[in-house]
Amino acid sequence: MDMQEPMRSHLATLPCPTFTSSPWVSGPPLSQRRVAIISTAGIHRRSDRPFEAMAGDYRVIPKECTAGDLVMTHLSTNFDRTGFQQDWNVVFPLDRLRELASNSSIGSVADYHYSFMGAAEPAEMEEAARKLAGLLIGDHVDAVLLVPV
Amino acid sequence: MGALAHYLEAEGLPTTQISLIREHTETIKPPRALWVPFELGRPLGLPNDPAFQRRVLLAALELFDLPEGPVLVDFPDDVPEQAVDARDSLDNLACPVSFAPLSQEKTETEKLLSAFRSEVTEFRSWYDLGLNKRGYSAIAYFSPDAAGRLLIDFVQEEPLQFPEDISSPAAALRFAAQDLKAFYYESVLSRPDFALPNTSEFNRWFWQKTAAGRVLKAVREICLHSNDEQLRMTGGMLLVPLDQA
Repeated sequence: MDMQEPMRSHLATLPCPTFTSSPWVSGPPLSQRRVAIISTAGIHRRSDRPFEAMAGDYRVIPKECTAGDLVMTHLSTNFDRTGFQQDWNVVFPLDRLRELASNSSIGSVADYHYSFMGAAEPAEMEEAARKLAGLLIGDHVDAVLLVPV
Repeated sequence: MGALAHYLEAEGLPTTQISLIREHTETIKPPRALWVPFELGRPLGLPNDPAFQRRVLLAALELFDLPEGPVLVDFPDDVPEQAVDARDSLDNLACPVSFAPLSQEKTETEKLLSAFRSEVTEFRSWYDLGLNKRGYSAIAYFSPDAAGRLLIDFVQEEPLQFPEDISSPAAALRFAAQDLKAFYYESVLSRPDFALPNTSEFNRWFWQKTAAGRVLKAVREICLHSNDEQLRMTGGMLLVPLDQA
């Protein structure tokens, strides 16, 4: 699907960080991995705090969450939300992940998943990301799936 | 997104990601990425198509089995074009401003707000039916009536009432706008007299044909001329999409 103007030009002007290193961590086969989702769609539990500022903060989404538990308070008006309204898996594929665990395509689903609001500056997310790393390792996660919006 | 991958991988966590903007991913070079040709907002491609979503998900996860990187792989398939053109049936749903009870004393703004109230009332029963059927709604904070009331109060320069956990009038307006749009979409989903619109058709209809879209544009204009910096930013960027402003 070709992206339409003026969105294409807008995105082209967004700051895009570069990195001098290329970190690469190996692990077991996919069928043995424990997978967590990190979304940047600005989704969170209905009872949690909305995303109000581009501060790089995150929200926790426990694996028991269902479609009706999550809402989206992302700042941007420039992406489609109707897909999420029809089916949360088009943004946050937790049901699909559970199915992959059931048929042993992956090892297991993490207890906790996380959400950022992607409009935040990448540098703002760095501190939170490093904190998340400890939480994910504590949850025995060895496969993180990052899903944009 | 790619920056998060760098930070996490540097902390010892293997990552893979879906990419919606290939150019950004080519620049950031995260360890593993699957580029998908889908529209923004739909990283897994198709709602209510578990088999398609599973293919996308597995394609991203199977990058973990590659021996070295960084790798950027293209997902081979776009989503199928929606065959049904919903334009005509959608356009018949909106309450044109001229349908409002006309009165010579009414200003243009009053006519617009009157049409808006009628529209919300008409759509409400379809929204409620959909809510009962699905058991949940994407609406986060403002019921349709509350969203309508907040936006009308703002246009009429009345004091705004919103939940305590929302920090500012600017945030309240943004959430009300999002919830109102969710309400319209969920209402349309429930009606028997139209086919499911694609995203661009829904957006065209909502922003160009409904009284709600015109009210939000009126709110935007007021925000742009406000003394409140947050309101100006909200009006400038966060109420109306770039391609509809």
